[in-house]
Amino acid sequence: MTSHRSISRFLILISVSFLVTAGLPFTACRFAQAANPKRIKIVFWNEMTGPAQAQLTQFVQKFNHSQSKYEVESHFQGSYEEAVQKILNTHGSNASPALFQSADISVSQLYHSGYITKIQKFIDQDKQFNINKISPVARSFYSQKGQLLGMPFNSSQPVLYYNASLLKKYKITPPPLDPTYADVTRVATQLYQRSGKKVKGMTMEVYGWLFDQLVANSGHYSVNNENGRIATPSKATFINPGSIAAMKWVQDNIKKGNFINYGSGGNASANEIAAFLSGKLGIFMESSAEIGQLTLGMKNQKLGVSYYPHQTGKKANGVAIGGAALWIGNDKPAAVQQGAWTFIKYLESAQNQADWQKATGYLALNRDAKKTKTLQKLYQQNPALKVPSDQLARTVANNANSGIFVEGIVQERIILNTALDQIYSRSNIHTTLQQAEKAMNTYISNNNRANGWSN
Amino acid sequence: MDESKNIIHETRIPTLAENTGLFKKTKMRAQRTNRRYALLFLGPSILLLAVFIFYPMLKTIYLSLFLTNGSGHNTVFAGLGNYAALLSSPGYLASLMSTLIYVVGVWALTLALGLILANAASVKVRASSFFRTIFSSTMGVSISVSAIFWLFIFNPSIGILNQIAAFLHLPLLNWATDPNLAMISVIISTVWMNLGFAFLVLFSAFQSLPLSLYEETAIEGVGPVYRFFHVTIPLISPTLFFVSIITFIEAFKSFGLIDLMTAGGPNNATNLLVYHIYQNAFLNGNYSQASAESVILTIIIALLTFLQFRYLERKVSY
Repeated sequence: MTSHRSISRFLILISVSFLVTAGLPFTACRFAQAANPKRIKIVFWNEMTGPAQAQLTQFVQKFNHSQSKYEVESHFQGSYEEAVQKILNTHGSNASPALFQSADISVSQLYHSGYITKIQKFIDQDKQFNINKISPVARSFYSQKGQLLGMPFNSSQPVLYYNASLLKKYKITPPPLDPTYADVTRVATQLYQRSGKKVKGMTMEVYGWLFDQLVANSGHYSVNNENGRIATPSKATFINPGSIAAMKWVQDNIKKGNFINYGSGGNASANEIAAFLSGKLGIFMESSAEIGQLTLGMKNQKLGVSYYPHQTGKKANGVAIGGAALWIGNDKPAAVQQGAWTFIKYLESAQNQADWQKATGYLALNRDAKKTKTLQKLYQQNPALKVPSDQLARTVANNANSGIFVEGIVQERIILNTALDQIYSRSNIHTTLQQAEKAMNTYISNNNRANGWSN
Repeated sequence: MDESKNIIHETRIPTLAENTGLFKKTKMRAQRTNRRYALLFLGPSILLLAVFIFYPMLKTIYLSLFLTNGSGHNTVFAGLGNYAALLSSPGYLASLMSTLIYVVGVWALTLALGLILANAASVKVRASSFFRTIFSSTMGVSISVSAIFWLFIFNPSIGILNQIAAFLHLPLLNWATDPNLAMISVIISTVWMNLGFAFLVLFSAFQSLPLSLYEETAIEGVGPVYRFFHVTIPLISPTLFFVSIITFIEAFKSFGLIDLMTAGGPNNATNLLVYHIYQNAFLNGNYSQASAESVILTIIIALLTFLQFRYLERKVSY
């Protein structure tokens, strides 16, 4: 009897303590809310990690202190790919965010979901906000038919990095600011030969994004209907004069022995950067967002940065941005949406964009940011940091350098990675890209059928 | 109380009285109450299975017949289109192939090493209980911990494997990052993870072996290798069969280690079927395709398990 009793007592104790602890967060929340009962809560989902997360948290805190009408609540939601699924699946429920960060790969998906309120609507209503201050090439990426869908926030562009100290050591003239394929091949070959084949000349990660950017810089399109900008795409156009020239350039360097392949994925870029920092690799192409890490890692060596390379004898068309934008869901009351818009404006101010670039390496999108002391000082300390910003500023937006407006970019990148891997193993460029096109076409036609855009 | 008497009634040896109408009635009533009891006791588990297993299974089959649009809605009926697309996709077939390599590798190595370790631990020497604990200890290690642990071992620049290799002037290998080695790396870590369980179960089988048989073989002058294959293996075959089936199915279902160690890379070298399903469903949002993949995976596992029962179980002596 006694043991039975003590067991039941124990159970009661456990359940009581469980109830108490389970209730704690709710009480804590109530207190927090009670402090500002009139504030409108803006739930903001984001996918930032590391220094970017720290800076974003700082922005949220500063914004909440700067005014008393809105309270932004920032939630980290994992990777970009996972976040899109969560956003689509929670839409219309009270778990959905008012404001969310979603990546370049999800533009078409979010546009067609019908779950967002176009940022254009807020711009048109807000006479004080001058959208022309925001980088046109970044805006065109997140626009369709002249309407801005999401506000570009964390943006980067691909650039070419080279080890300037290493080139100096072997008496090699560095590549020009706007290099052609021939310029890069020249430097890579000289480096490989003059180092007694100890230093590899160049690499390009097996990464579909970099392929798409080479195509963009040549003024061609990865999918038809001008990258889906003038009509729903129906076919992949991986085979085009731009991609063929780019892949020939890569294979030429592979043949010469200049080129080293690190494969694909997070490990590949980590190994590529490790080799670059330790002076075993001369040139690589990657997002400008890596610049902070590289500057830190170079220590006694000098980092060289140039624009993304382009086809020899042709003018560079400019590259598209990568990264993510801020979106406002259409399942929240007008007052909440207005709060989200106010926070977006806050983040896009010249000073905040300058701070953002300094802390993260993402490019400041507000044109006035370069006038701030923050960026002027930064550029003075390290002129290399200015190169990506200049590349962004000089790019004239067109349909080739505004990203690919198609659902299933994740799929496209997987398909391209497979193709690149085969091309790096010296397989025939034309046949390989043809296979990739075929795989992407199946995906596009299925997706168009599923959306009711075709039969 | 009345009903419980009826149940006892039924267990009695049948008599001629069974044919009388009265008895038939009682028997029917007894059956009905039996059924009621069965339902009462099975009900909760049937309900749970229905909600969490049967419904999702049927829904998966249903979803696999549709096309998913960009917002994650299943809109157009596609019949077997998803299956046809999968079976003609080189990426999926490559994933199927690497899964088979992985499963066979993990299965064979786990069984072989499990047997060797169990056999070794059965030898009564000093500190053998220490080794038993060590051999079974991987059961207590979580997947995330072991993934990180193995990543450190495989790390190309600071990993212990490459440091040993450098010390011995052997070539340095990019274990988890080289497309050709990544599969071997994940197989090694999975085998290490699974070994604890296989060892423990096999070891307990070794413990129950009759000593007399071994004494007899000793008198007959049978060698240890012959004894192992012709006495030990047949005696533990039921347990071995059990471990074989479990290891086999577990290997097919591997996800955690893959996700944490290679995320399907490099260049899809370790993109196993389960991981492929995860990518399609939760990264691409292509639920219908992922459903079709799940159905195919279920069929493959069921078929291979059936074959094991058909051909391997014959060799089992109970």
